[in-house]
Parts: sequence; structure tokens; C-alpha cells
Amino acid sequence: MKLDDRLLKTHPCPCTSTRVNYNDRMGVQAIEVKNLTKVYSNDFKAVDDISFAVNEGEFFGFLGPNGAGKSTTMRVLSTLLKPTAGEITIAGFKLGPQDDEIRGSIGFAMQGVTLDDMASAWENLLLIGNLYGMTKQETQSRAGELLNILNLEKVADSWVKNYSGGMKRRLDLAAVLMHHPHILFLDEPTEGLDPAARRVIWDYLRDLNKQGTTMFLTTHFMQEADELCERLSIIDNGKIIITDTPANLKKEADGSLDDVFIHFTGHGIRDEDVSNKGVDPYVRS
Amino acid sequence: MTEFSKIKYLFFRGFKQATRPYAALAPELIIPLFFFLINSSAFQRLVDLPGFEYTTYLQFYAPVGLLTAIFVSSGSTGLEVVTDISTGYMDRLFLAPIKRWYIVFAKLAAVGLKSATLTSIMLIMFMLFGAQFNGGIIGLLFILLFAFIFAMAWAGIGLSLAFITKNPRVVQSAFIFFFPFSFITTAQLPLELLEGWYKIAVQLNPVTYILEGMRAILATGEIGQTVFVGLLVASGFAVITLSVATYAFRKSIVKQ
Repeated sequence: MKLDDRLLKTHPCPCTSTRVNYNDRMGVQAIEVKNLTKVYSNDFKAVDDISFAVNEGEFFGFLGPNGAGKSTTMRVLSTLLKPTAGEITIAGFKLGPQDDEIRGSIGFAMQGVTLDDMASAWENLLLIGNLYGMTKQETQSRAGELLNILNLEKVADSWVKNYSGGMKRRLDLAAVLMHHPHILFLDEPTEGLDPAARRVIWDYLRDLNKQGTTMFLTTHFMQEADELCERLSIIDNGKIIITDTPANLKKEADGSLDDVFIHFTGHGIRDEDVSNKGVDPYVRS
Repeated sequence: MTEFSKIKYLFFRGFKQATRPYAALAPELIIPLFFFLINSSAFQRLVDLPGFEYTTYLQFYAPVGLLTAIFVSSGSTGLEVVTDISTGYMDRLFLAPIKRWYIVFAKLAAVGLKSATLTSIMLIMFMLFGAQFNGGIIGLLFILLFAFIFAMAWAGIGLSLAFITKNPRVVQSAFIFFFPFSFITTAQLPLELLEGWYKIAVQLNPVTYILEGMRAILATGEIGQTVFVGLLVASGFAVITLSVATYAFRKSIVKQ
């Protein structure tokens, strides 16, 4: 299934306060991270002095075991968490002083589905579109197109709580795409989906990327990373161990991407660091 | 205009959240009516007490029923916010390029409207059961104003606990505040008939003045000093609880 080209040809950020002409921004790195460190209030260092850059239009993978610092990094880059140290530029905007501009430029599909369960798909999308400064007409048109593309048109007026997991995930993606984000952060976007639904999502993401959307993906599915990503970083204990193309990494480990992952992060089963459990991720500390 | 539109959409969303599922509205309608019917019948003979100026206890108790409607209809606000936090929906809102106070403001306004709506429904029902309302349109507007302000004030307690603890059980337990604030008032007897420590406690309870303000409107229809004192106290109550809620909100979202 192909996404409608009309929706993807350009990326006009509809936020009236943060309108960006992306055609003028070619050549600019989509994400630039210098010496990012994040220490939580309980002194747990989740991210330890990492630097990397993601090019415009690149599909970038950010892999690592549980508790490695992936989600923390993503929450920092999406403005939900403040970094302890480091300089970060997203879509040409500096994190901190230009958070609103960044928010208008990115979409973030979080690990769980973040929808209003007691509202319909239509209501969910209309609210999101409005919050991003889209006009009523733009919002209705865009919501209709996305619901059509993601095959949710028939259930658009039903409450989301009645949806299956796959339907919720697709609607969540629609909510993230409402405002034509320039950069998409995807935190395990196919977690809990069956193989067919996963493949549908992959196709969507691949098409979006082909049309120019920069992708920043974390996943535990190595096959997903292998199929989608042009480059990968592997992070462990808050530090980036290696960054390269999947092909080069596989070559180096002389095996699959699973072998690469185990090679760089070890064989032991990982759990989230329980010392960090006292810190509610919602608390911006 | 765009910014107003954002608040408007958040307000509509907040109102829908507060009224869905519709079945959950049943207890919010039944509980005040239950209190009203049971107590106005059980304590009917209290009107025979010397110094009791009302001819029917039902008339005396009607504003307590309205107050109960406000308590009950605004009491779930904290839980609704905790749900938004635990499902990640609050993060979805935080990711939008909006001022974050819009989220809280719109939610409170929605709760105020919901309470005002339920209060007016209750008022009609009480009148069907024989309560008199002498306030006319102006009186009704003042009753709705009481409902709107006090609902936001009461929601402020649940909101504060929601932002501080993010725990549904803790937020749910805030319901216990209903008992002292609601019962240690002139709900059962006029102030003149109360004595000792209880009378002092009643005079210290801000809800007493809110209740008396509403009672004055129902009984006489006069918008006088009692009404304005009641509104002033309700507003002060709201300022305190919403300040705490705002502080807790900022503490929970400020990126340290």
C-alpha cells in the first residue's frame, strides 16, 4: 500500500507560529546532537556524553538493550525532557530556546499508543490538528485523508477504546502525521503488532521517508532496523558504541543484525535499571 | 484567534472526557438526589426546633443537594488527569506547540461547565419535589456562578494530587475531603442552633459561606451580602487550590 503522494510531496508545517519553509533547508542536518548527557534527579546517568547527527531525509536507527538510554534520548530530542548537558539542534532549531518551533516540526510516535480512548478517531485527529494551528478546513481534509490511507475511515466515528491494538497503532500514527512533521521519532512503533500489521506500518514509514521525512527509529526488532534503516547507532549504558550502515555492521560481525547487537551489547539479559524506577519518566527531571 | 481556538478545542475535549461514558453520569445525578430526598425526609421534624426559621426542611436542605452535585460532578477531575498522564496522552498534548497552561485552564473550565449544568438539572429536580426557588433568572445565574467557581476550586484538590502523585488510588482517596468540607457546615442546622467546638469548626469551614450564599438565593432571591461573601470565599478557595495545582503542574512538567 502506497501513501498518497499528495500528502507527502511537501512538508509545510501548518503551525501558524512555526511555519517553516523546508525547501530552503536542504543540506541542513535534521538532527545534530553534541555531547548530550542526561542525569536524572536520583543521579542515574541515562545518557552519557553522546554525539551524533542525522541527515535530512535519512532513516536512522537507534538500537540498544533495555535501559540503554534510547527512550531518554528520544524524549530529550522531542523536548519532553531537558538535557543535563549538550547542544542539540532539531530541524535547524536549538533545543531549549526554540522548543515550540521544534514541536511544530516533529512528530513522535511514542512506545505506547497515546490517544483519547473515550473519543472517536475523528475527534482525536481534529483536536491534534487544531493544536498544531491548522485551520478547520485543513484539519478536516487532512484527517479524512489519513483515515482513508490508514484504512480507518469506516470506524472514524467509533470510540477508540473499541479498536484493536493494530487499529489504535495506525490511528496513533495518523495523529503523529496530522501536521506533516518534518522529522518523525518512532519509539518501537510496531511493538505488539502482528507480522502483517507490522509490514503495513513499515511500508507507510518507508514511503514517508522516500518523500523526504527524516526518521529516527528505536526498535528491538533487528529485522525492522535492517529493512528500514540506512544507518544505525548502537547505544549501551548511555554511550554510543558504534554507528554505521547495517551492511557494514553485519559484515564486521560476520552475521545477522542480531549477531551485531549481541556482539556489541553482550549476551546477558537486560532489565531496565531499577534504580531509575523511582523517577517517573513523566517528571521532567 | 488561533490561540483561542486551541483553548476552545481543549475545552470541548475536557468536557467530553468529563461526561464520558455517559453511564458514569448516573451516580453524579443520583447521589445528590439521594442525599436530598433522604435527609429532607429524615430530618423534617427539625423545623419544629425553636429558632429554626424554615417551614420545611426540604427547602432548608435543597442548597446542600446542589452543593453535593458540585462536589460529585467535579470530584473525578483528578482521576481524568491521572488517566491522561498514565496513558501518555498528556505527553501527546505537551508535544503540541501550545502554552501548557491551556491544558489545565481548558480542563477546569470544562469541569466548571459540567458542574453548572448538573447543578441546574438538580435545581429543576428539587423544584419538582417541592423546593422553592425565588431567585429568578438573576438568582439562577448566581447559582451557576457558584457552581462554576466552586467546581474549579474542588477540582483543584484532585488536580494537585494528580500532578504530585500521578497515582489513581491516591487521587481517588481525595474523596474523603468531601466529608469534613460537606458535613461540618450548616448543612443540617442553622448556625444559630449549633454550639461549642462544632460551631467554631463550621465557622472556619469556607464551604459554610458558600452554602449560605446559595441558600440565601434559594430562600429569598436576594443577591445581598451573604451571596457576595459566599462568592468571595468560593473564589478564595479556588485561588488556593488552583495555586497548589498550578505549582504541582509546573513542578511536574518543568524540565529540570
